[in-house]
Amino acid sequence: MPEEHKPKREPGVCIPWEEKRKELPKITGDEQLVKRVWEEVDGLAYVYIWQCLLSF
Amino acid sequence: MSAEMEQLYRQRLERYTAAMRNEKPDRVPIRPFVAEFTAKYAGYTAQEVTQDYEKAFAAARKCAADFDWDAVVGNMVYVWSGLTQAIGLKYYAVPGVELPPDTGFQYLEPPEDDAWMQPDEYDLLIEDPTGYLFNVWLPRVSDDVSAMGEPTSLRNNLSLLKGGMAMWQYFGAFGTQAARLRTESGTVSAICGILKAPFDIIADKLRGYKGLCMDMFRRPEKVLAACEAMMPHLLHVAASGADPDRNVPVGLWMHRGCVPFLSPEQFERFYWPTLKQIIEGLHAQEIQTLFYAEGEWNANLKHIADLPELSIIFHVDRSDIFEVHETVGHKFCLSGGIPNDLLAFGTPDDVRDYCKRVIDGVARDGGYIMDASAIMQNDTKVENIKAMTEFTREYGVY
Repeated sequence: MPEEHKPKREPGVCIPWEEKRKELPKITGDEQLVKRVWEEVDGLAYVYIWQCLLSF
Repeated sequence: MSAEMEQLYRQRLERYTAAMRNEKPDRVPIRPFVAEFTAKYAGYTAQEVTQDYEKAFAAARKCAADFDWDAVVGNMVYVWSGLTQAIGLKYYAVPGVELPPDTGFQYLEPPEDDAWMQPDEYDLLIEDPTGYLFNVWLPRVSDDVSAMGEPTSLRNNLSLLKGGMAMWQYFGAFGTQAARLRTESGTVSAICGILKAPFDIIADKLRGYKGLCMDMFRRPEKVLAACEAMMPHLLHVAASGADPDRNVPVGLWMHRGCVPFLSPEQFERFYWPTLKQIIEGLHAQEIQTLFYAEGEWNANLKHIADLPELSIIFHVDRSDIFEVHETVGHKFCLSGGIPNDLLAFGTPDDVRDYCKRVIDGVARDGGYIMDASAIMQNDTKVENIKAMTEFTREYGVY
């Protein structure tokens, strides 16, 4: 894909973790766990809107 | 599951996948795409299978078991109106509501001036496709979702909640359906995942066909940029929904890329470059694409022939199947090509004769899957489906 069309929101992402992370206080435990779960659930919203467009 | 049923499933999976690898299986696999036909056969109305997906699933299982097919789609009456109603989608006419109970659901394309995406919104789409869909498109296509900046409402909140939960429920039910097809009749689920061409989805759901045709003249660079912007998302959706075992293909439903919707020159400039990259991207991940070529595609065969070997299964609708075979049959498996009007209005003898011509002409060396030209609705005669099935099972042995 040409660089000039690099999307603002990557495929599979609605709200990037980096954006969400700024809203959170210091994470005292496993940040990677928080990140992974955020991204997995965020990906479901992505599936929702793109499946609305493609399938329904 | 009984050992016999699992063995039957394995045998059918090998038959189906061997054909898709353009090899010669033990016989021609039979994989009919049957939609409202299943309702007719199982004794349901089109309304029942559109609104109650458990009935649609039951009808598909009954057809798979009774006709003893190798592979089917769990539900070809794919648009479950419980989901579309929950979201409040405006663009469907549903049997038993806006349509007679035995008419299949219809997609309503708005007039050009009321297109779901307006011509001055290309930059928004290009900049952030996902954001555009959430912020602009969804409120516009839904009766219930509030536009950005407008007051929210109970209906807005419920649309998002019910829509999400309904989709979760429906997609989960497909997994159960695939398992039941496997264990109850040894039937393979024919496809996994969905793909549409960037140009098609912009025509179908955003600008409308007429609007996009005008855009190709008035703002061609925007159209090209929009196709480029959609491309990585459509690749991602297709790849993430694909068969993890890489046995069955992603379904690519092509609507308006062929003549007379687009000239060959328009196809080459607007339609093909981004779709080709997506198919190549899937192929790089060992995912085949079921290239469901609705309409007549012979004018574009030279481009399709450039795709990597085995990257697609070329499904023939109104194309000349013998020319398709001659041009791309050495690279790709073919499917379909039995005319729907023949299956609806012909006799079983007519159907057998046509199936013989197709098997003789394109299937002698393998690499062919028996199916109708297009998805079969409730005008298809039961006796003709039986003729297509039984003839292929007898004559299609290698």
